[in-house]
Amino acid sequence: MIALASYKKNISRFQSVIALFILCIVLGVLSDKFFTAANGLNVLRQVAVNVCIATGMTLIVLTGGIDLSVGSVLALCGAITAGLLKNGLSFPSADLFVGFTILGAVLAAVIIGALLGSFSGIVVTSFRVPPFVATLAMLTIARGLTMLYTGGHPISNLGEDFAYIGTGSLLGVPVPVWIAAVVVLIAVFITRKTKLGRYIYAIGGNETAARLSGIRINKVKLTVYAIGAALAALGGVIVTSRLDSAQPNAGISYELDAIAAVVIGGTSLNGGKGSVWGTVIGAVIIGVLNNGLVLLNVSPFWQQVVKGAVILLAVIVDKAGDKKE
Amino acid sequence: MIKRLLLPLLCVLLFVQCKDRTKEGSKKIAVVVSTLNNPWFVFLAETAAAKAKTLGYDARIFDSQNNTALESDHFENIVVAGFEAILFNPTDANGSVANVLKAKSAGIPVFCMDREINSVDGATSQILSDSYSGAVSIGKYFVRQLNKKGNYVELLGLVGDNNTWARSKGFHSVTDHYSGLKMVSQQSADFDRNKAMEVMETILQAHPDIDGVFCGNDAMAMGAFQALVSAGKADKVKVFGFDGAEDMITAISENKVAATGMQFPKVMAETAAQFADEYIKGKRDFPQKIPVAVELVTAGNINDYVAYGKK
Repeated sequence: MIALASYKKNISRFQSVIALFILCIVLGVLSDKFFTAANGLNVLRQVAVNVCIATGMTLIVLTGGIDLSVGSVLALCGAITAGLLKNGLSFPSADLFVGFTILGAVLAAVIIGALLGSFSGIVVTSFRVPPFVATLAMLTIARGLTMLYTGGHPISNLGEDFAYIGTGSLLGVPVPVWIAAVVVLIAVFITRKTKLGRYIYAIGGNETAARLSGIRINKVKLTVYAIGAALAALGGVIVTSRLDSAQPNAGISYELDAIAAVVIGGTSLNGGKGSVWGTVIGAVIIGVLNNGLVLLNVSPFWQQVVKGAVILLAVIVDKAGDKKE
Repeated sequence: MIKRLLLPLLCVLLFVQCKDRTKEGSKKIAVVVSTLNNPWFVFLAETAAAKAKTLGYDARIFDSQNNTALESDHFENIVVAGFEAILFNPTDANGSVANVLKAKSAGIPVFCMDREINSVDGATSQILSDSYSGAVSIGKYFVRQLNKKGNYVELLGLVGDNNTWARSKGFHSVTDHYSGLKMVSQQSADFDRNKAMEVMETILQAHPDIDGVFCGNDAMAMGAFQALVSAGKADKVKVFGFDGAEDMITAISENKVAATGMQFPKVMAETAAQFADEYIKGKRDFPQKIPVAVELVTAGNINDYVAYGKK
């Protein structure tokens, strides 16, 4: 029984890998620039942010929830990082000024992200608001706070040291890719090797059963929303650093890319089933597709149609595979 | 618990409203802007509101979020709330006409800023940015800078936006006459800095040997520039934008990018507010359309300009 279950899991993970493989072959045939080391690194650098966000989203979706606010949280926390780096914090009433190092500003942004996520988590758990609604509200609130904080104007010229996070390389691999890799490895460890991971799957599989078996559901849910938003904040730091500028309209519709990556990667939106590795493959599929369509100079009108069609196809193939098994 | 909180909360809301009313001795002017998700429009709306306030009015900004239906709601509320005039930046040249006519029939004058509506008897006056002609002068400068030959990339704004195509067509009306200039890639980056950077990174994989990039706004130009810097090609490739935003003006003065088309949101917003004031004071005779020229800003004349205007 257990062997069969793990075999099944492997097959479904295999499917998205096969889809990615086919996509790469097709693009490689159509464009001779696709299979170059430079382009490979290019794709990885571009998917790094979505991988971070989608990894957090996976944990949330596994519990049967969803977080629509990640794009706005990304924008807000990116703006906070930039604002703290550039202007610091001043309290005129106490005649106090606090300057921030890069690490300090990044940590502050990630912590604020986690707090925003915890807030969504509390609304979902204690007030029993459906995650879709609670995080939709957070989407609007965080975007509004971003506008308030930035006054609607970008915060630019953040210095070369800060730019290293988004544009630098370590051992030939871009720094954002390293960050995403660390995030993924930690998330894989959490889901596979820790109690929290088992609880996440248990809650998504059957919440009532999980509650009856003594799992503190609210605490677990609050944790995943906090992690999800903290990772969105980390994404915000990377985007801000890459652009050398915090844009008030950054991250619009990023939640859809993240959810698409989760779903293409084979995680069920009903919760309880799926994996972080699948999501990584899903994010890479979306990244490769974005990259390939531009390499081939496909018209922007057609690109949207093609992207939607590929997402549909990936999910249909995934479902068909599930049934057969 | 929540119910018990709700009643006092509602009372407070009522109180705040009342307080607001009693304060209003002055007449009100509404500023309706297509979006506040773009610094350029934030500047336009804030300048219009600020000018109205210095003229002694109470000004309020309404954000249509690029949604003509939401804009329609704003107009209905404005009519009901008894505003004296509307300083208007439309979401859509055709879709916004009905909204303007609604205000007109209620006796509220509408002054369009930056973008026009396709109607000659709706708005009292339209103070418009001439995107097409601006893009034509950028196109001419582009041709000179590239010595009439080379490969180039065009980054379009949102493909459903009027300005995107006005700028693209103006640019191509010049460049398409030169057979030595070859557009190797035309892609959309949604007026977004991050998207422009990613699209440019990818285009550089397919076409490492380009000579110029024309972008539909300055945010995309800065994004494309960043991609060129990462690829070590920033010295070789000339970048052209549109808007006159702060980052771009700084970059031109540092000789990092080639040129932009300076729009004058301050002039447009202040003229509209000025007109509204004159209308309220009794003047009725306004020109239907006032085009505000888009000026070419390059390293040669950068000292005359600041962000969104002239020194």
